[in-house]
Amino acid sequence: MTAEENGTSLGESEQPVSIDTTELNADQRQAVCLLEEVCVASGLDCAPIVRSLQGAYIYIDLAGSDAHITWGRMGHSLDALQFLCNLIISHRVSTDVRIVLDSDNYRQRRAHALEEKALEIAREVKERQEEAEFEPLPSHERRLIHTLLAEDPDITTYSEGDDPDRHVVISPKRR
Amino acid sequence: MQHLIEYLVKALVDEPDQVNITEVAQEEATTYEVRVAPSDLGKVIGKQGRIANALRTVAKAAAMKNKRKVYVEIIA
Repeated sequence: MTAEENGTSLGESEQPVSIDTTELNADQRQAVCLLEEVCVASGLDCAPIVRSLQGAYIYIDLAGSDAHITWGRMGHSLDALQFLCNLIISHRVSTDVRIVLDSDNYRQRRAHALEEKALEIAREVKERQEEAEFEPLPSHERRLIHTLLAEDPDITTYSEGDDPDRHVVISPKRR
Repeated sequence: MQHLIEYLVKALVDEPDQVNITEVAQEEATTYEVRVAPSDLGKVIGKQGRIANALRTVAKAAAMKNKRKVYVEIIA
């Protein structure tokens, strides 16, 4: 299976596929190695599996019996580990390698939850004709909301504040 | 847990030989005191403490299984 096919195989009943590590270049292998070492150092039952490659991005799943409780459930632990791993890998390799971590389908579940909440807030904003704010979110999650609501003609969205307090504001569009 | 913090901190700094992690176990929680070379302090704290906070979040997540409270303190 190629990386392209991999990237689109998000069907829930489908068995997740993994990339053969022989397909990776030296720098991508360094990224996998970093995650392997992190997993070993944690003493937990988890291990990295490469799910797909898209340009500079390497999508890595953390699998294992401890992966769910550690990385797949608790709020931003996956984002924190991803942030640290990208800092570390940028010191170790010369090419642009960006690690995107997932575990137990957390990203997809999180996206669903955010989208539902965004639609609910958007509905209230339209009803009351008043601005409403989201809680602070990392940039990739804010982007999800902006993209989702971009086509709604009755509202606009923007972000305000500085990280880590930067948050999405949904406001009614005057017509 | 100490291994994980030590691995991450050593990977972040320029002088891994000068990294020292001390485990201080209290009744309800364990504190990990992180000491690094003075020139590496910024590398483990980050802008507005972003790196230090990420280390804390990761340590907390890794301790979930044992239901243990952990703190990570960077000692200057």
